[in-house]
Amino acid sequence: MNLKEIRELIDILKDTDVSELELEKAGTRIKITKANHGGRPLILEQPAHVYAAHPAMPSQAQVQVAQEAAPAARAEDASASNIVVVNSPIVGTFYRSASPDAPSYVEVGDVVKKGQVICIIEAMKLMNEIEAEVNGKIVKVLAENAQPVEYGEPLFHIEPV
Amino acid sequence: MFKKILIANRGEIALRIIRACRELGIKSVSVHSTIDADSLHVRFADESICIGPADPAGSYRNIPSILSAAEITDCEAIHPGYGFLAENANFAEMCETAGIKFIGPTPDNIRLMGDKARAKETMIKAGVPVVPGSKGAVTSEDEILLLAQKIGYPVIIKASAGGGGRGMRVVHSAGSLINSFLMCQSEAVSSFGCPDVYIEKYINEPRHVEIQVMADEHGNVVHLGERDCSIQRRHQKLIEESPSPALTPKIRKKMGEVAVAAAKSVNYMNAGTIEFILAGDQFYFMEMNTRIQVEHPVTEMVTGVDLVKEQIKAASGMPLGFRQEDINITGHSIECRINAEDPEKFTPCPGKITSFNTPGGPGVRVDTAAYGGYTVPPNYDSMIAKLIVYGKDRDEALSRMSRSLEEFIVEGIKTTIPLHQKILKDPIFRSGKFHTGYLEKFLGM
Repeated sequence: MNLKEIRELIDILKDTDVSELELEKAGTRIKITKANHGGRPLILEQPAHVYAAHPAMPSQAQVQVAQEAAPAARAEDASASNIVVVNSPIVGTFYRSASPDAPSYVEVGDVVKKGQVICIIEAMKLMNEIEAEVNGKIVKVLAENAQPVEYGEPLFHIEPV
Repeated sequence: MFKKILIANRGEIALRIIRACRELGIKSVSVHSTIDADSLHVRFADESICIGPADPAGSYRNIPSILSAAEITDCEAIHPGYGFLAENANFAEMCETAGIKFIGPTPDNIRLMGDKARAKETMIKAGVPVVPGSKGAVTSEDEILLLAQKIGYPVIIKASAGGGGRGMRVVHSAGSLINSFLMCQSEAVSSFGCPDVYIEKYINEPRHVEIQVMADEHGNVVHLGERDCSIQRRHQKLIEESPSPALTPKIRKKMGEVAVAAAKSVNYMNAGTIEFILAGDQFYFMEMNTRIQVEHPVTEMVTGVDLVKEQIKAASGMPLGFRQEDINITGHSIECRINAEDPEKFTPCPGKITSFNTPGGPGVRVDTAAYGGYTVPPNYDSMIAKLIVYGKDRDEALSRMSRSLEEFIVEGIKTTIPLHQKILKDPIFRSGKFHTGYLEKFLGM
């Protein structure tokens, strides 16, 4: 990914209501977040320095460029391989554990059985247990604890075993 | 005033509500099905939540999903629009229980008016004229003869479990009454599984004229005049207008007073419409719609009142911003409902709209959530736009509507625009002297 392409991405962000953009391409992953929703992202003052010398940007535009090894990047790409995406079947608040003091139902790397509870989605004061649909290994947790999720929102990546 | 409202609907009405919220400085939250992710109502809301799959049962009529969406976005109120859950008393009640304000009437209002038999009884008690008829099912030949004599011919015998124009017989004289009665009963059993029939006065060539009412939580109820919705096909409205070409100021005043009295008698809240059948200068209660209606724009154009804003304000506890004497009907407004249907066969035509040019200029309003490049999904109502015009009188409104229909270009799918163009040219429609049977006759049905 070159500087021109990154600049173009920032422009897209500026001119639309999109507040966050994450893009993965050929082993490079970039995430751009607007400083405040509705505000304009600040243009980097010295972009040339930033990308060549500093992999992590301290600037307010919060541009993160991560050069990742190709095999690792591919493993996280759900559309390749046989990753099963667990999507939220309902609207509610996502919780990783049964209660604030309890341990998470699952962590990355855990092997789960079909039917095993992997998280809770709370809707209208009712706790809905979400179960794994396949036997497999949790390779990624996509939703954040105590955050709202919508219907169809991806929660976990499971690699079937 | 509310800070955030969830709109439990889609399409043009969701957009309409978002617009009112914007102008009132209220944040809007859209809910959408998976297939509606690219909709305008999603794009223009401040936040949006996907609540389910394309099938409305899993999304737009999914009460837990919608209430959950309101909860996670901290919405204080829900506007249900029309259709879907707008007249679901259980939903209105569950909103109340969840501490979320339902922008509309009370659950009791909805329940009462949803039960057609109870609604009619309630109206009779309130002194509202109803179509004369039997109280419930007629069981004997003697009974029906007496009733028909009392009501006066022609009468219509209807199956209680019927509807939509089925299971009915018109009787013009006593000679054919018993025969029709017996035939109706046996048809009722075979078609609807229930032999109950009732009798009503038959209103020949009626017009459908409805009165818009608006009530606040302080006991104020005001009517905003009438809409004539007689242009219908299979009980579906195609064209509406205000004022009605059939009303004199005297009848208008009387109907308005009756509508307000009816609303007050049931402690009605928020926006509602009372539908009447008009025959000559006699009008009879037909039913009450406990929601904002599709055709509300024609009332907005001739009264200058923003009905959706008034709904939101009233629901937030504010008194109505106007009294009855402040409401005047000025000029004339006509609305054409544009559907994604074959203009001759009426078969639905969902698909991708390749070009979309909406009319403009003075006195033209288009309420739509369609746009060039939008794919009309097959899962929902086929209405894609409402074309509303306003003129200083009916003639100007007619010429403005004809002109606007010429400018309304929709390519990629079939629409009923050509049908509206034909109706606008028809001398009977132009004369204003039509009744509810007119359109089907015009279409040769």
